[in-house]
Amino acid sequence: MTTDVDTPRPERQTGGSRAGSSLRRLLTLREGSIVVVTILAIVYFSVLNEHFMTTANLKNLLPYFAPFAILAVGEVMLMVAGEIDLSIGSVYLFTPFMFYEFHELGLSLVICLVASLLCAGAVGMLNGFLTAVVGISSFIVTLGTLLGVGGLTLIISNAAPVDMPGAEVTSKTVQVTHVVNGHKITLPEQVNSVGGFARVFGAGVYSELFWALLVVVVMHVVLTRSRWGMYTIAVGGNRHGAAEAGIKVRRIMIRNFILCAVLAGFVGILEATRASTVTPDTAGAAETMFRAVSAAVIGGTLLAGGEGTVIGALFGALFLGVLRDGLTLEGVSADYLDFILGIAILLAMCINVYVGRVRKGSGHG
Amino acid sequence: MAEDLADDVLRVENVSKRFGAVTALRDINLHLRKGEVLGLLGDNGAGKSTLMKIIAGFQNADSGRIVVKGEEVTFRDVDHARSLGIDCVYQDLALVNELDVVQNMFLKRELVSRPVPLLARRKMRRLTREALDQIGINIPRLDVPVARLSGGQRQAIAVARTVTSEADIILLDEPLAAMGAKEGAMILDLVQKLREEGNVSIIMIAHNYVHVLQSCDRVNLIQGGQITFDKPTPETSVEELNEIVVEEYRRARRAAHAD
Repeated sequence: MTTDVDTPRPERQTGGSRAGSSLRRLLTLREGSIVVVTILAIVYFSVLNEHFMTTANLKNLLPYFAPFAILAVGEVMLMVAGEIDLSIGSVYLFTPFMFYEFHELGLSLVICLVASLLCAGAVGMLNGFLTAVVGISSFIVTLGTLLGVGGLTLIISNAAPVDMPGAEVTSKTVQVTHVVNGHKITLPEQVNSVGGFARVFGAGVYSELFWALLVVVVMHVVLTRSRWGMYTIAVGGNRHGAAEAGIKVRRIMIRNFILCAVLAGFVGILEATRASTVTPDTAGAAETMFRAVSAAVIGGTLLAGGEGTVIGALFGALFLGVLRDGLTLEGVSADYLDFILGIAILLAMCINVYVGRVRKGSGHG
Repeated sequence: MAEDLADDVLRVENVSKRFGAVTALRDINLHLRKGEVLGLLGDNGAGKSTLMKIIAGFQNADSGRIVVKGEEVTFRDVDHARSLGIDCVYQDLALVNELDVVQNMFLKRELVSRPVPLLARRKMRRLTREALDQIGINIPRLDVPVARLSGGQRQAIAVARTVTSEADIILLDEPLAAMGAKEGAMILDLVQKLREEGNVSIIMIAHNYVHVLQSCDRVNLIQGGQITFDKPTPETSVEELNEIVVEEYRRARRAAHAD
């Protein structure tokens, strides 16, 4: 009675070609549909424009997606727990200014990094406390801290941009010898360089990509293979049941808010270091937050909680980046860009929902 | 009498619990002997589930004492109660729909690898299969979210989770609620088996008098947040239990008419 000999394996029933069945298996994954949609977008722009698949353009693409991937991963951990953090936009802006202020006190770059990330974490802890302990909806709490921390940033910066410490570009002139038509010509050339700290934390070409992939891999393992991830799913899926089972619901929620805020602060420092300067632009900060939330949702994470994917968030961010970069490369006017992006997001979500239905019917998890 | 006291694995003494204006438990006294199955009857709202939640460490009593295996305790949380051998199958099952069978079976009791604490999924799956086989529950696939399972299968998982834990004081809050006749019989068989082995003590909330008389050693009735009836099952009958409950209903109706 207790054996499962009679249960047919669904894989055997699907005839089809090997490629067809791999595609079907890919689509049965939660993040499968966004992976396919992203690949389609990449293929589309590669065919449309010969410059898309060039190293130069791929380097251009990186800042369009790597920072958002990291922000989206933090958001996924919160959304799976059934909450949302709108304040990441302001934390993203606030943290590099704190970094600057700590540096003004004469602290070393690494200490500044740690201290400013602690400040970001404090905002996350406040969000978590007000949501989990006081019991205000996270949408309202983080809307408040989005405005509040944005305002705080304007106050401490006097609404003026600052140069990011450690990211100063040092130029020196070197004599370079060229051979032109058999003649040796020596000309002075300017070589720009930044410090090692800056290269690691944002200014290096692949720095943000490295951090994005690291965060994705680690948090994917955390969400799918660790107690923390399991409890996060439990808190978002059945909060009362999770508490009855003995899970410290509040602790998990606060921890995830802190994680989300620290990741946002970290991205803020990466971006400020990459640009070597940071402007207290609160409107831009809010847009950054919306893009990160979009990336998480497009990636297949439910706003309702209980289900989500870190890999999906990576691809959601990549999809948005490819779209923005591809359309820009096509010379689409800035006026049309957001309009087309909006439609593309809705289209991608429709495909997601449709594929989701197919997946639920297929009997796979 | 002194012997009785020593035999008690659990004593609830003068415990009260209020939720705002509502008094859920009123100086309630209850005891559970080692190896016995205690049936707990009572109308909806009588305080049965509240009592279970207090014994399981999920809620705190406002006043009163709880004595577990001779030691007075104040539960800090569910984990604390569990560490003393108390585990509860809640009426709402406390299952997470999005997690699979194995993850639900081991929720809050996960096995992890060392030194990196990742979930030991293969081992947990094997133990889950063994536990379900032992109880005789047929769930073909353990890697599907429990949302896909029937009400009976879900209930079975919740019961199996507690029965296979280290717990020796088991609280079952209406374990037959979502079950068909066949699955219900399976749970009752399981309770019967545990009763014969005598290693665990059980408090079982149920509505069906026949089930209670069949599976329990003793019956308690909760009315208005107090135990109003306490007899060994051989000394009572469906008729007597029915009479008490109907009498309460009549009294309440007379009181309502008198107003």
